[in-house]
Amino acid sequence: MSGAEQLDGALLALDLQAHRARPVADLLFYLGGAVVALSLLLMVVGPWIVPFDVGRPGDDIMQPPPALADVPALLVQVLRGTPHDPIHWFGTDSAGLDIFSRVLAAPRADVAIAVGANAFSLVMGSLIGLFAGMARPWVGALTMRISDIVQAFPVFITGMVLVTLAGRSDLTIVVTLALLYTPIYVRLTRSEVLTQRSRGFVDAARALGRSEPWIALRHVLPNALAPAMIQASVTIGFAILMTAGLSFVGAGVRPPSPEWGLMIAAGANDIVQGDWWPSVFPGLAISVTVFGYAAFGNGLERRNAA
Amino acid sequence: MQPDPILSVRDLSVGFHGKTAVRAASFDVAPGEIVGLTGDSGSGKSTLGLALLGLVRQPGRILGGQVLLEGTDFLALPEAERRSRRGRQIGLIVQNPRGALSPLHTVGGQIQSVLRAHQPVDAAQSSKRAVGLLRDLGLNDPERRAGAFPHEISGGMAQRVLIAMAVGAGPRVLVADEPTSGLDVTIQAQFLDELARTARATGSAVLLMTQDLGIIANYCDRVMVMQAGAIVADGETRAFFAAPSDEYSRTVLALRHAPPPAAPSDPAPLLQVDGLTKHFPLSGSKKVLQAVDRVTFEIGRGETLGLVGESGSGKTTVGRCLLRLIEPDGGTITFDGHELTRASGKELRTLRRRVQIVFQDPLDALDPRWTVAAIVGEALDRPDPKRTAELLDLVGLGPEVARLRPRSLSAGAQQRVSIARAIAADPALIVLDEPTSALTPLARVGIVKLLRDLQARLGMSYLFISHDLNTVEQLSHRVAVMYMGQIVELGTREQVFEAPLHPYARALLAAHLAPDPAARRIDRPREAGLAGEIPSPIDLPPGCYLAGRCPDVQSACRTTPQALQHLGDGRLVRCTPAARARSVRVEMSMREQADG
Repeated sequence: MSGAEQLDGALLALDLQAHRARPVADLLFYLGGAVVALSLLLMVVGPWIVPFDVGRPGDDIMQPPPALADVPALLVQVLRGTPHDPIHWFGTDSAGLDIFSRVLAAPRADVAIAVGANAFSLVMGSLIGLFAGMARPWVGALTMRISDIVQAFPVFITGMVLVTLAGRSDLTIVVTLALLYTPIYVRLTRSEVLTQRSRGFVDAARALGRSEPWIALRHVLPNALAPAMIQASVTIGFAILMTAGLSFVGAGVRPPSPEWGLMIAAGANDIVQGDWWPSVFPGLAISVTVFGYAAFGNGLERRNAA
Repeated sequence: MQPDPILSVRDLSVGFHGKTAVRAASFDVAPGEIVGLTGDSGSGKSTLGLALLGLVRQPGRILGGQVLLEGTDFLALPEAERRSRRGRQIGLIVQNPRGALSPLHTVGGQIQSVLRAHQPVDAAQSSKRAVGLLRDLGLNDPERRAGAFPHEISGGMAQRVLIAMAVGAGPRVLVADEPTSGLDVTIQAQFLDELARTARATGSAVLLMTQDLGIIANYCDRVMVMQAGAIVADGETRAFFAAPSDEYSRTVLALRHAPPPAAPSDPAPLLQVDGLTKHFPLSGSKKVLQAVDRVTFEIGRGETLGLVGESGSGKTTVGRCLLRLIEPDGGTITFDGHELTRASGKELRTLRRRVQIVFQDPLDALDPRWTVAAIVGEALDRPDPKRTAELLDLVGLGPEVARLRPRSLSAGAQQRVSIARAIAADPALIVLDEPTSALTPLARVGIVKLLRDLQARLGMSYLFISHDLNTVEQLSHRVAVMYMGQIVELGTREQVFEAPLHPYARALLAAHLAPDPAARRIDRPREAGLAGEIPSPIDLPPGCYLAGRCPDVQSACRTTPQALQHLGDGRLVRCTPAARARSVRVEMSMREQADG
């Protein structure tokens, strides 16, 4: 094979690859973006728009969701505004609470905790990462080893211990998750800082007599943040899963707040009797949300690389 | 009578998405002829070259025309037939030799696969022939090299492997697309010598595409110039260089033979560097890499010192040490009466502003998130839109550029922003670290002209670091040649360019391809060049670092380190035999004068 054919073959392959990959990746990116936007919207307005009170039990206990075949007719009723019995789209649980309302209200707990924890660890992690990347090599190495130790704790057990020690409140969960996620951001930011700090504009700023802290904050940090911001989307998804998990084992949000993990735990006993809906709907909500954040983060990463 | 053309192109057009990249190109190439094809980046040279082999980068398409190879229209043949003729009848040498070789196969194996694709030879024959090709191309120990993988050989060797692959099956026409971009000058000259010799010996024609008019002047019989997809000039080399017919070539050649503006004669130097030394420790071993070794020089006010040398010679490290971007291990740097090497804290920050730097990669030197106004403003004490506009005007940019971010500017304009930022600090010295190497020929001329004008207007000094001897000649008053971290020769531009004394400087200048067909390298008798490979900077020989490669080596050179010798006329040479030979010559001419 001649050099030209190799070259042409490689170029062709790249073109085809890019051509095939783009539509699917774009679709996932937009789907993920829609999920992220919806979850953030529900975090703010969720508890205000629900059809039933999420805290007051109703009379209908363990009512199953409407049959799939009846859904269109019910939808028509709702849209036309014809008077109808209250509809429990996702059914009710053993206390008679409307599951649909609780699933919509839960982001106020799950998403808020995950976003808060990540905002906190993004700020802490990128500043520590900036310090570790700009400091003398041995200081940087020491910072990274400490960060390694924190990261080496088994996340779930650490979370349970911390929540047990500090008491069960939303703030405790935020702090726990923030502490556990900070090393991820430290590592990402530091490796990008190491690349950015050897670029020409950094040396040019030094030549202009700018101080090292000034250069670090004005030139290096803004250019080193992109990977951490992208990671944030994926990590928020996992933090939602973690919040639900901690609540499931009783180390998270206090019942009876609407929260997906608590709802799954409450419905766990009913599943064995064939009453699937109290657990399955919140479970689906978690899956869709985590997947949405991950797809959005992936799309962002691809866009950043392009 | 002209022989029948071996390659005849008629109205060849190539388009990309409705845009025409090559517009009705027509030309002939005779057997044994080396034709140069030049033009600025994006003028369509590479696209034309690939189209001659019936290849286009996606999503391009050949829109029409004929490529007659020995009378047959290559483009009209079925793809299977074209594939069998590629390599056999028309060969291609691409840039980036390493990228064109498969990292998983030995270089010998890759040459053999070309041979076997086109000739009825068995494994043993093709293996013998591959080794023979490498030997013909001047590789030492070709048997061992043939068994090497691409990462085990140097860039120059990889380039020769590509020639072997391209000429292996004996094509009558060779298309070479920027075959020497990224190579050091001495390797570039060796490579082009081999290419020209091979072409002449086999009577094949070469179409050599390059932006470097020096290569064309020294090797090509004819020149074609492309601009916006069309061939705008086609003529014999000497006539072309005597009076370029097109605007592009006239602009690129505008500064040829134009010496830089004279430096003011001020006896007190601005900068004195004495015994500057920098070692880099190698991680995981006790050895050190000697980047800069006892470098000593001065720069006067308003003067430009050109610092030349091949990659790894330490010239960039010297420049960075002057700003203390790298901390020197030894020696002193005295700048305007202050010792830079001892300054610290606030004094260092103030002194630093008087020494500025412009880097090779213009995009890397500008913060991508900042606007041009902010970048230039960084050098000012407080934001000052009026001064910023003045500075942009000084470097030839309009005020509308101020709002833009670096990415939306051309490389030449980016480099102008870097220069504006440097002069904003009102420096007395600017270190120019290969500022023109990443630019197209047109942008390069613009920057060289700008640097000359700025020096004439503002009177600052330059340390101009470059491997491009043409721009060094256009900017420098004095020139220092570096080899393995040492200055081996220092003198005025005329002294170094016209009569270099140190054997390394002689070899470097002999490989210099001036855009002037007066003394073409291809017509010059082959002189004894440097042999072998550059020694590793980690294990340096005890004596002269050049002893292993020097054509004039004497036994003392291998054991005695060479010191810089002052010759009477202000020049410095790190070679005892060369200095002695010269003083004998000077003595003889003085005696002759006394006798006469």
